[in-house]
Amino acid sequence: MHALLPDLVLMALAFFAAFSGAGRRRPNLGFHASWIGLLGVLAVYAVRAFALDAAPVDLFGGAWRIDRLGLLWRVVFTLSALCAVLLSRGNFQRRSGGREALTQPGEFFALLLFSTLGGITVVSARELLTLFIGLELATIPLFFLAAWNKRDDSSGEASVKYVAMGGVSSAVMLFGLSYLYGFCGSLSLDALAVRIAAEPDHALLWIGVLFVIAGAGFKLTLFPFHLWAPDVYEGSSTPLAAYLSVGSKSVAIAFLATLVCGPFAAVRETLTPVLLLLAGATTLAGNLGALKQGRLRRFMAWSGVSQAGFLVLALAGPAPLARSSLVFYMFVYAFANYLAFFVFAIVARSRDEGFSSLRGMSREWPALAVLLAISMFSLAGIPPMAGFLGKFGLLASAASGKNFLAVAFMVLNGVIGLYIYLTVLRSAWVDRVADGEALAPLESGRRERIMVWILAAALLLAGIVPFLSQRIVQLLSPH
Amino acid sequence: MIAHGYLILLFPLLAFAVNGLWLARRNGFAAGLFSILMSAASLAYAIPLALEWFAAVHGGDASAPVEAWRFTWLPLEGALKVDFSMILDPISVMMLLVIGTVALLVNVYSMGYMRHDPSRGRFFALLSLFAFSMLGLVIAGNVFQMYVFWELVGVSSYLLIGFWYEKPSAVAASKKAMIVTRFADSFFLLGIVLAAYAAGSMDFSVLNGSAIAAMSREVSLGGFHVNLLFLASLLMFLGGWGKSAMFPLHIWLPDAMEGPTPVSSIIHSATMVVAGVYLTARFFPMFAAAPGFLDLVRVVGIFTALFAAVIACTQKDIKRILAFSTLSQLGYMMFSLGAAATVLGGVNTAAYSASAFHIFTHAFFKCLLFLGAGALIHHVHANELDAMGGLWKKLPLTWISMLLACLAIAGIPPFSGFWSKDEIILAAWQSGHGLSAALALFTGFLTAFYMFRLYFLAFHGEPRGGHGEGHGRHEDPWMTVPIVILAVPTVLSGLLAKDFFHHFALPHQVLSESPVEHVAWLPATAATLGILGLFLAFVLYGRRGADAKAALSVEGRGGWYRLILNKFYIDELYLFVARRLLIGGFAGAVKWVDTNVVDAAVGATASGTLRSGALLRRLQNGNLAFYIGAFLFGILLLRILGRLPL
Repeated sequence: MHALLPDLVLMALAFFAAFSGAGRRRPNLGFHASWIGLLGVLAVYAVRAFALDAAPVDLFGGAWRIDRLGLLWRVVFTLSALCAVLLSRGNFQRRSGGREALTQPGEFFALLLFSTLGGITVVSARELLTLFIGLELATIPLFFLAAWNKRDDSSGEASVKYVAMGGVSSAVMLFGLSYLYGFCGSLSLDALAVRIAAEPDHALLWIGVLFVIAGAGFKLTLFPFHLWAPDVYEGSSTPLAAYLSVGSKSVAIAFLATLVCGPFAAVRETLTPVLLLLAGATTLAGNLGALKQGRLRRFMAWSGVSQAGFLVLALAGPAPLARSSLVFYMFVYAFANYLAFFVFAIVARSRDEGFSSLRGMSREWPALAVLLAISMFSLAGIPPMAGFLGKFGLLASAASGKNFLAVAFMVLNGVIGLYIYLTVLRSAWVDRVADGEALAPLESGRRERIMVWILAAALLLAGIVPFLSQRIVQLLSPH
Repeated sequence: MIAHGYLILLFPLLAFAVNGLWLARRNGFAAGLFSILMSAASLAYAIPLALEWFAAVHGGDASAPVEAWRFTWLPLEGALKVDFSMILDPISVMMLLVIGTVALLVNVYSMGYMRHDPSRGRFFALLSLFAFSMLGLVIAGNVFQMYVFWELVGVSSYLLIGFWYEKPSAVAASKKAMIVTRFADSFFLLGIVLAAYAAGSMDFSVLNGSAIAAMSREVSLGGFHVNLLFLASLLMFLGGWGKSAMFPLHIWLPDAMEGPTPVSSIIHSATMVVAGVYLTARFFPMFAAAPGFLDLVRVVGIFTALFAAVIACTQKDIKRILAFSTLSQLGYMMFSLGAAATVLGGVNTAAYSASAFHIFTHAFFKCLLFLGAGALIHHVHANELDAMGGLWKKLPLTWISMLLACLAIAGIPPFSGFWSKDEIILAAWQSGHGLSAALALFTGFLTAFYMFRLYFLAFHGEPRGGHGEGHGRHEDPWMTVPIVILAVPTVLSGLLAKDFFHHFALPHQVLSESPVEHVAWLPATAATLGILGLFLAFVLYGRRGADAKAALSVEGRGGWYRLILNKFYIDELYLFVARRLLIGGFAGAVKWVDTNVVDAAVGATASGTLRSGALLRRLQNGNLAFYIGAFLFGILLLRILGRLPL
């Protein structure tokens, strides 16, 4: 039972943060409790995942399992939540990107923590219903968070769209899961695996699979279920966009990996064309969508779509390789994306969040422009940034499943990917402020400065000294 | 000594770290001195290491790679792992010395050239990074390590070409270089992935050895049957194709001249562009085993050599002339590797050593030419030949050195270029490729012509442009000393190193069947053609009374001249495809959906028309319906295209 303790602490922390908003005397309590608590839980997870010998623990009659993979995913989720909490702090203190400061920090952090708990539920669940509940718990708090800026119209609009689309996707997902249940007669994943192996061509199974993938595709922003993302990213706040792009996406890919590398492993051959199709279309759509953007968060939304294609590609490989490459890539992706969003948050302190606000950064603050370049090169997958190793792992996983044509297509897409990330760098390095026009000077707090350096160092370190990827591969290898 | 060979790389890396993080911003001069010191240390370590290696392998099989060190960097799946290692064999040792020498001299030269640049500290940091990446590339013992450094070379060249990022043309050029080479690199990466899974290893020793037999089989690819070895070779070679700017991926190289001249010098002489040739040489046993593959290499090489030489005859910007001459010379090197396949089906290893030999000699005279061109540009503040003429009085040492380099590249005996080019053509002839050898001879004639066109128009005749004032010499010792030093190998490296390459620079694990047919008339013909080219240039541009202005003018020229002057409009073709079709077409459509369908509602909201109940109305304005429609449509699409057994 003690294996469950950190999860319970996280839940208690969420409730604590929610109620900390009630006390008016200590407005910062929620923030400090959240980040310190998250840091502590993160440390516990990290030690258990990387250092200790963690035999799988089954709880609640086999419905909940804590294993190595689940622990690694927990580290990713809490890391993402921690970054989101640190990033959102600034939005409560002052205006950002021309919008009002947010209010009610306690509740905001509480919802982030609940969403994280949802992710933890997904990677622990051993049966369909818990899996679904986890996924919903990870998503529903985000509906509220998207609408947090109550006085801002576009925030409300973003939230309404998100809720409506999320509702459809949940319905689709539940529909699919119900077919899987009907096919199998049991909610347990192990039973499902046995049943699928026995009857791999059953129509009920494939209706279920189709709808489950579509439902997960919404959360993972796969083409053509991705349309909500640019709107919601743009309409909500910077920290939420960052969390959506990393935290929410990692929950969705963990969910998909649980099924595809788990019960669906027996039918991987049949499933592979669907996955490859989704991967190729998604990355191409994301790249093309990002080509002509003028808003930073919109750009990041499209960039996230493009990256999601690579994630799905890895699923077409053998399970151990797919899992380890995905976990490692999500680490790298978290570093790179949060680094970009921290930089954008610094820009948004005094300016609008558009590409034009990046102009002149290389003169005004060269170090920040270099850090932005590190993030973009990592997202584009160029060595020695960790993004290269991450992408290579994803490609290697798919190649190991002998999907060479798909790998070729994705690698070529990487060239357009490079181009789109270079457009950001062009704004930061090349474009100059016109004469007579003055951009407000860049400002930043100590927290942001520390975070950008830490994240950039992590990106470089994980790329040059591959201890992280090596350890993950080693931990998740079947022997 | 050999066991600590990593020090050769560590010195420039240290220079990059210290300059980049700290020194560059404080004191550009000190940063330059530190860079020079570190590159000198790197070279000072490389020379005794090379001697020790030579002593060790002397008498034995010199082509067998000696492994200096190795550690496992990244275990992949099962037995597949990525090691980092350092291998010493004739070509890697040769490259270590060449890169070390050129990097050191370019660093010294940059002290003068970048004297007035406020951000020269950054320049020296990047130059060190570039040298580090290139050194890492040549010592790589496996293809993954090579790829990592390969990309690092790409990134650092991107930063160097775009060094003057205030200039829009420089930025455009750096982006072009990055995208084009990266396009080619993506095939390289693909080849690595393919070979890794087909052969189960990434080590060159395996890929060039036991893996050849394992990969010699047909695979079905989308309905076509292809030879796996050929496919893997082609994919890897495509990486080199882009990096070495072979036609039609050559478009980035002339534009890359937008960087500071020392950058052009280091990129074009010993380093980045040679990487593609080096890759081909590294994979030589594998490529030679792939049926018909070397013929492809040969054709690409000779075509690029001729094509670039033709363009070079019309250009006015001296750096562009040199860029096209680089393309042409790279074509020679590629051609030589390809010509190793004899018409009888054997392998003529003399062609391999000739290619390595030409890399060696070319590095020195091309580096000298660029540094000299930089001195000219520095002096007249323009790149065009229009602004030059009669400069020999102003820059006498540069003039003499440039003359020697022009003689070398033109293939006039006994200068270095003659020997290596002669070996190439001889090897091609011996392999039985008569037509290609004839084309190479003709390219040699063109080379002599365009180089001496540059030489006469720049140094002789009446001064054009406004630099006539002032008397006496205007040479900067920081810049002149490296130029003069380079003149020594420019003259001698061919004669002295000839036998070394002939006997030692041979591919490992390849049995030669070279026919030792001596063709006495070939060197004489090559030299005669070179002298003819020189003479033609003299008649047109050099003799007293030659009208240089008219020679440079486009007025009254025919369509062919314009076609060549505009580089056969290939850049425009690419631009059309990229801009109109890709960005304008597809991305435009996506953007249209994004603005007209997606953004419309956000725009309406932002204008502040939101009233109570408006949210509901927005739900019905077609926007959200479009999303949900797309969602459902997507499910249908997946059902149909996903070939699910439903």
